Amino acid sequence: MQTIRNNLRFTAFFMAVLMSLATIWTSPAVANVVGTGELLSEQRVELDRASLLNMLEQQEVKDKLADMGVSQADVEKRIQNLTPAELSAFEQQLAEAPVGQNSVVGIIVLFLLVFVVTDILCATNIYPFINCIR
Amino acid sequence: MVILGGCANRPQWPDQTSSAVSPIASSRSSDLDLDQRLILEQVPFYAQEKYQCGPASLAMMLNAQGLTTEPDQLKDLVYLPGREGSLQVELVAAGRSHGMVVYELDGSLQSLLTEVAAGHPVMVMQNLRFNWWPQWHFAVVTGFDREKRNIILHTGTRELHEEAVEVFMATWNRTENWAVVMLPPGQLPATAEPIDYLMAVNDLETTGHWDTASEAYRTAERAWPDQPAAILGQGNIAWQAGDWAEATRHYLRLTSEFPDLAAGWHNLAQSLARQGCESPARNAAECAFSLKPDRFSLEMPAISSGVSAECPSVDCPDTERP
Repeated sequence: MQTIRNNLRFTAFFMAVLMSLATIWTSPAVANVVGTGELLSEQRVELDRASLLNMLEQQEVKDKLADMGVSQADVEKRIQNLTPAELSAFEQQLAEAPVGQNSVVGIIVLFLLVFVVTDILCATNIYPFINCIR
Repeated sequence: MVILGGCANRPQWPDQTSSAVSPIASSRSSDLDLDQRLILEQVPFYAQEKYQCGPASLAMMLNAQGLTTEPDQLKDLVYLPGREGSLQVELVAAGRSHGMVVYELDGSLQSLLTEVAAGHPVMVMQNLRFNWWPQWHFAVVTGFDREKRNIILHTGTRELHEEAVEVFMATWNRTENWAVVMLPPGQLPATAEPIDYLMAVNDLETTGHWDTASEAYRTAERAWPDQPAAILGQGNIAWQAGDWAEATRHYLRLTSEFPDLAAGWHNLAQSLARQGCESPARNAAECAFSLKPDRFSLEMPAISSGVSAECPSVDCPDTERP
């Protein structure tokens, strides 16, 4: 038992050292200047955002939005405010979807449902007809 | 989410080389024809030893680019005896350490064949068995035959093995269609997308392969003059090497081509400060701040003293701020 504990202590110490080293290594390799990777991830996010906004231009999507009583401007505003992580999650769903017009519309509608949930949780206020629960 | 993977769908043979590929690549590949039988003769074959498809495939990829190396030499780099296999990341890292840009394809059969038709062998990962009982395998695609609907591979102990596209797709889909090309920094993959390619080059930069990365950034800059990261990367490599004058030269190019990019002005301010150019550095820092006040501050970097340099004059772009 004691040996296990000693071993664990050693492991813990080793992990602590490793993690602090890892933190140092992962901090921007180029101190003071903006790294190339930082610019590239920003550009990737903007690219994803643009492709998402493009989809709103499809007629089927517009019709669906109208059916749900959501204005296109509201959705556009929401897309502008999406975090990079949310955007990439959306792109992921799109990439996994089978090919076809319907599925794209389906995913966008699914995405709008996420807004409904966030509205209910008071995180957003996109649909005026949804009262958030406190 | 329910996954309905590849049930009895007969794979479609792509009609033509992708029209979705970047303009540069497509103009180069306009004469590529997927409607034929094609074999890349320049890819040598190494029969794998037991479980060592990783080193063998890597050797074939590197030899195809004119490097002289053998599976035995690569074994220590990419083979894990305990696992009786190789890891994807290690194959990618090994490609990089041999001075190659390793570019991951988008996973479509179309892109795979487009690369082969452009003369680039493609390393693929397959699962030869089932998802619940996997048999991972690396191979190199060296050709295809449209008429017979075959993919031609150097795989295992078989040279130019012809595999029905149905079989190939089934085994390739189980690895989420992992496929890479390895090319010297002066050559672009036929299906290269600007941001994806630049990210692959950035991996070279962050792993310290600066010469290869610089050359690849130059290649990217020629191919896509609208990509600021290609110039920023060259400047950042010079910066990391401590060559302030060279860094300033690239950052000046960057700010003149892309005056709205705050990062360019910020980095220019840093390199000018290191050169001891106080007043232009201050101007550049102000440009960065006025373009992106939430990211950059007016706080000046320390000005190096005693550095003699010819200081350029720096003026902010005439931006009409809203």
